[in-house]
Parts: sequence; C-alpha cells; structure tokens
Amino acid sequence: MNDDMSDESKSCSLPSSTEPTATRSTVPMWIFVVTLLLLFLGFAFFDKKGGWFDVRVYAPYNSSEELEAAQPKSAAAVAMAAGKKNYETYCGSCHGNDGAGKIAQAPPLSGSEWVMTKGAERLAHIPLAGLGGPIKVEGKDWNMNMAAMGAGLSDTDLAAVLTYIRGSWGNKMGEVSPDDIKKVRAEVGKAPQPYTGEKLMTMPE
Amino acid sequence: MKTQDPRAKTPDATIDASCRLPLLVLFNGAALWLVLGLALSVIASLTFHKPEIFACCPMLSYGHAQAAANDLLVYGFCVPAALGVMLWIFARLSQTELVLSPLPFIAAHLWHLGVLVGLVAILTGNTSGFAWLEFPRASAMLLGVAFVLIAISAVATFGQREERELYPSHWFLLAALLWFPWIYSTANLLLVTNWPVRGVAQSIVHWWFTNNFIFVWLALVGLGVVFYLLPKLTGQPLRSKFYALFAFWTLMFFGTWAGIPAGAPVPAWLPTLSQFASMMLVIPILAVAIVLVKTLRGAKLFCGGSTYGYIRLGGLMFLPSAVLLVAAACPQYSRVLEFTWFGAAQVQLHILGFGTIVLLGAINEIVPLIMDKPLPFKKFVPWQFFLSVVGVALFVIPLLIAGVQQGHSNFEPNAGKFWLKLSMGGLVLLLLGSLLLLTNLFLMTLKWKIALVKTVAAAVVAPLENSEVKS
Ligand code: HEC
Repeated sequence: MNDDMSDESKSCSLPSSTEPTATRSTVPMWIFVVTLLLLFLGFAFFDKKGGWFDVRVYAPYNSSEELEAAQPKSAAAVAMAAGKKNYETYCGSCHGNDGAGKIAQAPPLSGSEWVMTKGAERLAHIPLAGLGGPIKVEGKDWNMNMAAMGAGLSDTDLAAVLTYIRGSWGNKMGEVSPDDIKKVRAEVGKAPQPYTGEKLMTMPE
Repeated sequence: MKTQDPRAKTPDATIDASCRLPLLVLFNGAALWLVLGLALSVIASLTFHKPEIFACCPMLSYGHAQAAANDLLVYGFCVPAALGVMLWIFARLSQTELVLSPLPFIAAHLWHLGVLVGLVAILTGNTSGFAWLEFPRASAMLLGVAFVLIAISAVATFGQREERELYPSHWFLLAALLWFPWIYSTANLLLVTNWPVRGVAQSIVHWWFTNNFIFVWLALVGLGVVFYLLPKLTGQPLRSKFYALFAFWTLMFFGTWAGIPAGAPVPAWLPTLSQFASMMLVIPILAVAIVLVKTLRGAKLFCGGSTYGYIRLGGLMFLPSAVLLVAAACPQYSRVLEFTWFGAAQVQLHILGFGTIVLLGAINEIVPLIMDKPLPFKKFVPWQFFLSVVGVALFVIPLLIAGVQQGHSNFEPNAGKFWLKLSMGGLVLLLLGSLLLLTNLFLMTLKWKIALVKTVAAAVVAPLENSEVKS
C-alpha cells in the first residue's frame, strides 16, 4: 500500500520523510532601507492626516488646528452663522441671499432704514406680524404684502436672523436678543394682523 | 519502507498513526462544512438575484444564507482543517507521537458541535448581527474551549521536540494558536455579551477582529503550512529562515493595525493609522514573495494537480490577496472602492484562493499518511484542484470588476449585475470540487471503520485463533 502511493507521487513531488530545513542566508540591506523609507512616508502621512490622536478630529479635517480654524470665534459669530442659515432658508428666496432685494418680489434689506434701526422693536414686528401697503425703502416706493414669514421661528432663531441682516452686506447695527423677540411676539399676539408702514413708524425703533 | 532521518527515534508511520483519530474528526467535519458552506453561498447568491426564489422558507433568505455560508467557510472549514494540519506538523517537526491525543479528539467533536449550534442559530435568526461573529454565545463558548484544548495538545507536542532550534513554521503556527483565542474571546466579550461596548467602539472592535481573524490569522496558518510543506514536497530547503522570520514579524506588527476603512466615520487618527499599517504590509509581502520565488526556483517539478500544486498555487495566492488589501487602503483607490464588492472579493480571495487551497492541499497530502492508505479516488485530487482554481478565478475576478463598476457608478443599484451573476458560476465549481473531497474522506473513513469492525468481530467470533488475525 505504502509503496504504490510513493510511486504514484514520485512524478509530482518527492516523498520526503525528512523534516524540512531552511537555509540561513540573511535578509539583505535593501529591504531594511525600503522599510525605513516606508515608515518615514507613513509617519509623514499620519502627521498630515491623522490629527495626532485628537478624538474630535474627523475626516475631512486633518488636524486640531484645521478644526479650530473652522469653529466660529465668538457667541456673536455663532449667532451670525445660525442666522445666515435661517435667513437663506426663510427670507433669502424673496430678499435675495445677498440682501439686495428682488425686483417685483421684495425690497432690499442691505442699507434699508427698516433694518438699520437703533433698537429692534419696530424691525421685529415685520417678520412676526407681516407688513402690507405702501412703504418707502431707500427712497423707492413699494406697495406689496409680506406675510409673517418669521413667526414660525423660535425666539433665538429669529433673533439670529435679524442679527444677521443687521450685520451683513454693509449693514452695521447691533445684535438682536431673543428677549427682544419674545417681547414683540407677546405684543402682536397669537393671530397677528399685518402692520402698515405708517403704523410701524408710530412705534419706537 | 521509507528511509528514516537517522536522528528520529519514532518512525514517521507511528507519528502519523498517532494523529489519526483527532485528524479524521477534524477533517471529515471540515469537509462537510465546506460543502454546506459553499452550497449556502450558492443559495445566497441565487436569492441575491431572485429574492423570491426561496420565498417558501425564510431560513434561506439572503441574510440567513449569506451569514451561515461565511461562518461555515471559516469556522466550519478553515479553522478545524488548520488545527488538524497544525497538530500533524507539530508532531512531525517534533518527531514524536501526538501528545495528549485524546484531548484533540474530544475537542474536535466539541468544535463541530459548536459550529452546528451556530449554524442552527443563524438559520433560525438568533444571531449577534456582527459579521463573522454571528454564532451565539453557547456556540462561541464551545469553539473557544475546543480551540484551547487542541492548542494545549499542539503546544505539548511542540514541547517534546528533539531539535531545539525552531523551524519558521513553528513561529507562524504557534502565533496562530495564541492569536485566535485572544481575538475571538476579546471580540465576543466586547460585542456579544450582555454588556457590549457602545457606539462607535463597536464598529472599531468589529473591524479589528475581522482583519485580525480573516487576514492575519489565516495568513499565519497558510504561510506556516506552506513554509513547511513546500520544502518537504520539493526536497529543497526553505530559502531562507531569516526572510521567513522577517516576514513573520512585519506581518504580525503591521497586520494587526490594518482593517479600519479609510472612510469610516470615526476619529481621523484611526483610519489614518490603519492606512499607514496597510501600506507597511508591502514589506511582509515582499519578504514572502522572495521566500516563495527562491524556494520554488530550486524545485524543478511541475504537476498542476498534485498536492504540491495546491501548496505552490495557494502560497502564491497570498501575494495578490495581500496586494489587493493594500491597494484598497490607498487613499486614491479607497475613495472609489470602499464599501463595494471589491472588499468582499479580496476577503473571498484570501479565504478561498489562499487559505482553502493551501489547506486542501495539506489535507490531501496528510490523510493518506495518517490512514496509511491511498485515497479511494486519487483522480479526485487533481480534479478538485482544477475546479478550485477555475472556481476561485471565476468567483473573485468578476466580483473585483463589479466592485470597480459599483464604485464608479456612485452605487447605482444595478451596477455590476452581470459580473455578480457570472461569479455565481465560480461558486458552483467550488461546490463541485468540495464534494469530491467529501466523497474521498467519507469513503476512506467508512472503509476504515468497516475494517475495524471486521477485525473486532473476527477477534470476538474466533477468540481462539486470535493470534492469527492480522489487522
Ligand atoms: C414671500 C416673499 C418674502 C419673504 C419670504 C420675506 N419677505 Fe420681507 N418683505 C417682502 C415684501 C413683499 C416686502 C414689502 C412689503 C410692503 O411693500 O409693504 C417685505 C418687506 C420686508 C422688510 C421691510 C422692508 C425692507 O426691505 O427693509 C423687512 C425688514 C423684511 N421684509 C424682513 C424679512 C425677513 C426677516 C424675512 C424672513 C424671516 C422676510 N422678510 C421674508 C417679501 C418677503
């Protein structure tokens, strides 16, 4: 039995009953050089993309510094960023993302005397209650209607939107606080009627 | 009779016979699981293209069949087959009979029981939900205990060796014996207990385990076996010991870190480190390539279908498999290939093209030795070789193409459909091949058992002529 088996396999492999041996030639230098080279490249790659074990750094950011640079610098910057987002969602379609207004749709907000008021009381009435009838914006006459486009936003969000329109496109007026919004919201009530420009002018800025 | 190594005290035939019982159990079960696993792969592939085809039986839905197939290939076939081969290699290298041989015999049964429990659990939907860890706790426990018992016998045999200097395969296989209990218990404790780690840590542990098991563990086993059998079958020395050790250390050191996908939604240092480690795998790949090429150059044999053919081809398959792993981790490619069929193709190439072919070659080589009889159908060995080679090629190459198409088409659902269908053909060929192995092993065992019963019966029936009964 055993013999015919080894005959059979002789053609294809040696029926070796000794245990295998290994030669002792040493690993050549070049493979160590390649290893070191790759290690160097690898470290460079990790240094560039790995964020040095900072658990806050996720792709696509590569380092803590990059992450830091992408953060808003102050509470005001946070409000501006949030305001920009909400403005572009709720107001930009009519007033334009650049605040320049759109012909036959809505008057401009950049440079508008309705926006550049000292306080926020008069301004806050517009998105909370709506505005209708003839008004003058930067010397031009408008006679259209705007519904209470901001009534659905929270106090904080609407305050951020107004802060944003008062601080962008060359406008340089102070922040609006959520408390300001809260006060006006209580004043206009649950089912507010749109104000006219005339009526708005009678209230303090 | 064969010529013996003059130093050897124990004849090879005695060593081989001491391995017979545990190895038979390990290999027979492995062959059965291989057939079942591949059959389930075919079923999963069918349901993937025609979901309603097994609408009758929810057990065979894609999710069940695919998970069961994956686990059967690895836990059902690769691990027990590897354990059997390792026991034999340790006994041969030590030139002693297998130490504590009842231990692996019992453990082999426990292992297969664990796989059976796991299989039933998966098909009835009681799984953990983590790929490669679907087996429920009871089954994981059985596997863990069985592995450790077998490892004890292997290490005890190793301790008995005459030649004190270690052969390179010792390093690879001993590491594999330690690696599996470590990663398997850790992954199960952290993911499949009542108090799993939470959130993103789950994915990280899971990636770590999958890579360490499928890539590193299988590489340790496959290369350990190749580095042992290749010199033995060719009569050439391994060239060289130090290259092999260099490959071993660099594989261990860098391999463990690889595996976290570049696009994983985890802190950036994890995937970056993982990509770094994957890139470093170029070094062990180079070292293994040099060992294989230099050792094979000395061998002037060519026979595609012999066990030598299996070992040579299987060993060489490590290279494309590992190269694909490294390529998929490169930032330029990972952007396109990540989370496509490409990754699946690499895993399947590693399991079926590298691990399985090496283990099949080793089984076909070892079984006639431990049984002291040729295989019932010797022709099946080359047939299975060709079926496996064509099968792997037909399965893996279309999957790779499908992966690339999928990546480029921005995950359009029908991308690569044609190639995926083609790959099913490869699975069918592999299934046919595995049936040949099963037939050979089962017939052989059956014949051996009948002979055993006859001997016993003869002894019982004719107690007086006992001394004349030849076994
Ligand atoms: C559907 C289009 C539309 C949307 C959306 C809209 N507005 Fe208006 N807005 C108008 C129109 C039209 C007028 C002019 C009303 C009039 O003629 O009386 C106006 C006028 C104003 C004015 C006063 C005039 C000016 O240009 O300064 C302010 C302030 C204002 N809107 C703020 C907002 C804010 C803040 C939002 C988002 C919460 C908003 N608007 C969303 C159409 C819109």
